[in-house]
Amino acid sequence: MVGPIYIIALALGLAFFLGFFGKNLKTVSGFLMLAGLAFMTFVSGQWLMAFVNGSVTTQEIFTAGFKPPFSINLRMGMEEAAFTFLVNVAGLLGGTYLFKTLKKVGNASMSVFLVLIMSLNVIIMTRDLFNLFVFVEIGSIATAGLIILDKTSKSLQAGFKYMIAIGVISGLLLIGIVFAYYFAGSLNIDSIITANIGAAKAGAVAVFLIVSALILELKPFPANGWGLDVYESANPGIGAMVSAGIATASLFVLYKILPMAGADWYQYIVIVGLLTFVGSNLIGTQQKNANRLLGYSSIGQIGLVMTVIGLEPVLGESFKFIAFALLLNHFLAKAGLFWISGIIKKESIASWSVLRKNPVLLIMFIFAVFALIGFPPFPSFFGKYELIMSLVSSDNAWVVAVILIGSFAEGIYIFRWLGDVLKNENSEEEAINIEWNKLIPVALTTIALVVTGFMSVSFVEGAQIAYFIPLAFILVIGLIDFLPAYIKNTVSIAGMAYYTYILYPLIEDDLMRTIFFAIFMIGGILTLIVGYNKTGKREGFYPAALLMYAGLATIIASDSMFGFFFGWELMTAGSYFLIIRGKRSKPHAYSYMLFSVAGAYLILLGFGMAYAGAGTQALEALKDISVLPTIAYTLLAVGFMTKTASLGLHIWLPGAHGEAESDVSPMVSAVLLKAGVFGLMLLFLNMGENGNTLLFVLGWVGAFTALTGNLAATFQEDAKRMLAYSSIGQLGYILFAIAMMTQLGWLAGFTYVINHFAFKAILFMVIGGIVAKLHTHNLYEMGGLIKKMPFSFTAVMIGIITLSGVPPLSGFAGKWLFYNAVVLKGWYIQGVIVFFAGTIAFMYAFKLIHSIFLGQLKDNHRNMKEISSSILIPVYILIAGIFYFSAFPQDILEPIGNMLAGLNLAGDPVVWNEGGLATTILSHWNGTAVMIIILTTFVLVLGYLWLLTGKTKKLEQFNIVYSGEAPFRPETTHVSYNMFAGLNKAIGFLVAPGISNFWKKVSTMVLDLAGVVKRLYSGNGQVYAAQIIIYIVVFYLIALG
Amino acid sequence: MEYVIMTTGFALTISGLYGLLSQKNMIKMILGFTIFTTGINIVTVAIGYIKGGTAPILDDAGKAVGKYVDPVPQALVLTSIVIGLGVTALMLAYVMKLYKDKKSLNINDYKDLKW
Repeated sequence: MVGPIYIIALALGLAFFLGFFGKNLKTVSGFLMLAGLAFMTFVSGQWLMAFVNGSVTTQEIFTAGFKPPFSINLRMGMEEAAFTFLVNVAGLLGGTYLFKTLKKVGNASMSVFLVLIMSLNVIIMTRDLFNLFVFVEIGSIATAGLIILDKTSKSLQAGFKYMIAIGVISGLLLIGIVFAYYFAGSLNIDSIITANIGAAKAGAVAVFLIVSALILELKPFPANGWGLDVYESANPGIGAMVSAGIATASLFVLYKILPMAGADWYQYIVIVGLLTFVGSNLIGTQQKNANRLLGYSSIGQIGLVMTVIGLEPVLGESFKFIAFALLLNHFLAKAGLFWISGIIKKESIASWSVLRKNPVLLIMFIFAVFALIGFPPFPSFFGKYELIMSLVSSDNAWVVAVILIGSFAEGIYIFRWLGDVLKNENSEEEAINIEWNKLIPVALTTIALVVTGFMSVSFVEGAQIAYFIPLAFILVIGLIDFLPAYIKNTVSIAGMAYYTYILYPLIEDDLMRTIFFAIFMIGGILTLIVGYNKTGKREGFYPAALLMYAGLATIIASDSMFGFFFGWELMTAGSYFLIIRGKRSKPHAYSYMLFSVAGAYLILLGFGMAYAGAGTQALEALKDISVLPTIAYTLLAVGFMTKTASLGLHIWLPGAHGEAESDVSPMVSAVLLKAGVFGLMLLFLNMGENGNTLLFVLGWVGAFTALTGNLAATFQEDAKRMLAYSSIGQLGYILFAIAMMTQLGWLAGFTYVINHFAFKAILFMVIGGIVAKLHTHNLYEMGGLIKKMPFSFTAVMIGIITLSGVPPLSGFAGKWLFYNAVVLKGWYIQGVIVFFAGTIAFMYAFKLIHSIFLGQLKDNHRNMKEISSSILIPVYILIAGIFYFSAFPQDILEPIGNMLAGLNLAGDPVVWNEGGLATTILSHWNGTAVMIIILTTFVLVLGYLWLLTGKTKKLEQFNIVYSGEAPFRPETTHVSYNMFAGLNKAIGFLVAPGISNFWKKVSTMVLDLAGVVKRLYSGNGQVYAAQIIIYIVVFYLIALG
Repeated sequence: MEYVIMTTGFALTISGLYGLLSQKNMIKMILGFTIFTTGINIVTVAIGYIKGGTAPILDDAGKAVGKYVDPVPQALVLTSIVIGLGVTALMLAYVMKLYKDKKSLNINDYKDLKW
């Protein structure tokens, strides 16, 4: 084994030696520098491996032959090995990235770079305070030198501000160290810890100065303007070093110094960290400059790790995993992002859309931002999950709340940025100039993010390797993205079918799961079949779709809260990428994501409270939550309702579903929304007595959601938006039905779930196909298509009959059960609202079919043909399903009823008699008989009409007049335009955009607040130095005053 | 005596800091900074001082044992002075570059980066 002292010796020697090289040997010098960095990485990596294997124990290295406190000593233990390895990797990759830049500037810059990395190694390993000070100073001087690597005016200014700030901070550090020596009689950290100098007031001041100087090195909000300027103006390669390398080392120093300060100090670190995390992310929402935004984000992430360091006494065993996972995640993601920024050289985040010109860079960017925000499968997801579970369990839920607020603020800018990248216009001629030495470091950090995420599994309760199986398949689909769409479509369908086959045995004993599983997987396969009508490559579509379905499958198959949440986040990520594919979907996908992220955080907090009570990750923990049950259940319910788009949380849905691609709409509407329903069902079954008030409220919410959803649907001129609003209404019914918590209510709920899946898939597929063919969403630009598209007409007809609950189709089964349930439950007023909503559903259903298929054919549609058979095939499979369900409802509803009888639901079940006769206390109904009667009548009438056709006179298009109306614009002549004007005048105010305006105001307030706070950063270096002094004074008053 | 030295040291530290924060001229700011570090160095030396102490050199007679001045702070100060030199030099180099860029020594003229 190579001794760690050689890391320092080699770096110093090499840095010195490079100085002798003339100007002609720059390439040689560059490779020597890289070789040196590789050696340093090797040494620390070798130690790390040895510690992981357990073949060595912690080594103390003494200099000058004396033991401490009479000499400087270094330590190489597991932690030191890990951290030196990280900074050396940062050095090696960063050095590779900066290779050409350093070569251009000259050998001196390479020496400085080596010295910087060396100093980081020493401040990690040293156990001597003064030695720490010296190498902090050396590192700072080296950084100050590197900041002006690109000799721009801005970087000069930033560098000077940095020097002033660091000068003040290290002066304070030195005073603290000197007095610590005075009181403890030693400079050795361990001896000072033993001396416990913080106990006396004077000693506490020394400790205070040391700790606050180290905190200030980490750029705490708001005394960090100098750091932000560096991030903004320095070469991104240096930004990566500051964010990943220096911050990593500084965090470790804080961690090793804190025991010196004593137990009371940890709480202050938590507060400082939280303030930094929330403050930086909040101001980040106002940033448009990419590097400065990365700076805010870096500082925020470091604040989060600082918080975790302060929480060490609380977190106990899981501390090391959490801290390391979050730090590593920040390290890899942020270095990657800074490097990407340096590759594309775009200041404004809005112009980062240039990334789309290079798919590899785009993927790496996406991985990095999803890692930042803490999505699976990245380490931060595991770290944050474990952090939140541990915190809630230890009665620190307020810390969780603050962390989640900060994370949400992070989401605000991350997803705006991602939206810009995915959707903004690019100019044609621009191209990204790829240099391999710059691309390779980014690629390596991206791979490391995935690998370390995978390795995190063993540290978190409930996490399983199995969750990664579908992800591996998605990776394969991603790798064959260059193939034509139909090949990938076939592979995807095969993959889904196989995965269904594997997972089915896991859930076949649980009927509730089986139903949802069937909807997700069969729905998934059917909606994928539609994709056969797409030509070209459909780049990025299949990974996104499969990611969503993988998430849905994981939600169903998992038996732990962790697994559920893992699946939930995968589903969210996948559906986001699907939704944003629509031409005008950028703002809608953004609001979808913000609602989803907020909802996910509420669920996470709720799970944490369940875990705190039960001490297990199994889903049974949700049963009778003991810690603040009402709050916990409310959080979970609201979290799930962001996905079911219940009233108040629905504003994302119309745009997201309406603007999506034709086969994405059924995926996210017919299939995805049911995930929220599954969550709610799972929740309601476990709530017990504690949830009664909540259920009552949710019943009302469901009723009003049904009313407003349906009402808004009638006023739409856009066919797909109409269907989207219709989904809101239908999900309102479902919420209402299951909130009743009776057997009948739930049976009605299940019937609605199955029906909505089938008819919404049919309608969205067909209408989506028509919209794509006609190139318009507007109903008043359609009409008379019945003869051009008879199969579509029939399908839509059957769809709306099911939707509106008219016999003989299964919609009526739902309605019949529903009204029985409402009457028996006694929710009369709510029931009337829902009944009224049901009537309104007839109106938009009529408008839909009338506007598209009946009336006058448009001139430009005369040559229109039927929509593609790849749409019609899945549609008619679903129609067959509806007919089967309608004719033999007992085949499906009887087993469900039997299952429901076994759950803790009130009321009597439906009794199924011979021949499909269903009876309740109130009434009876026979689906089979109704079907036979109506079909017979239908056939008879149809036959009679057919006989009569010989006598009819065919009306031509111009055999009409305007009936006295004076048309002033072309679309106003269309009967569908403003079809329900009277209704709108009467009760249209109910759907006035009050809720959208509410959310708009909320977002404006947040952004305005950020705009005010960011003015702290006046740009004046002196003000920044003064802020440091003020920060210290305030901190002193809080901690010691 | 050690209190006089220490008080002087603190007075210098504070006044240096004040200069750094109040002077708009960047050269004067750096002067403030060097006064600040000098003050800290004096405080450090004062800490190791013992009244009537001797130099920390152990001769054969062993007279110095028990009443020599603590040598550690003095060693620290030497290092600290060297570091201060480096930092000051770099700061001055920065000011030179800044002056070449905008022909101004006023810190208020260098606010291109903010918010």
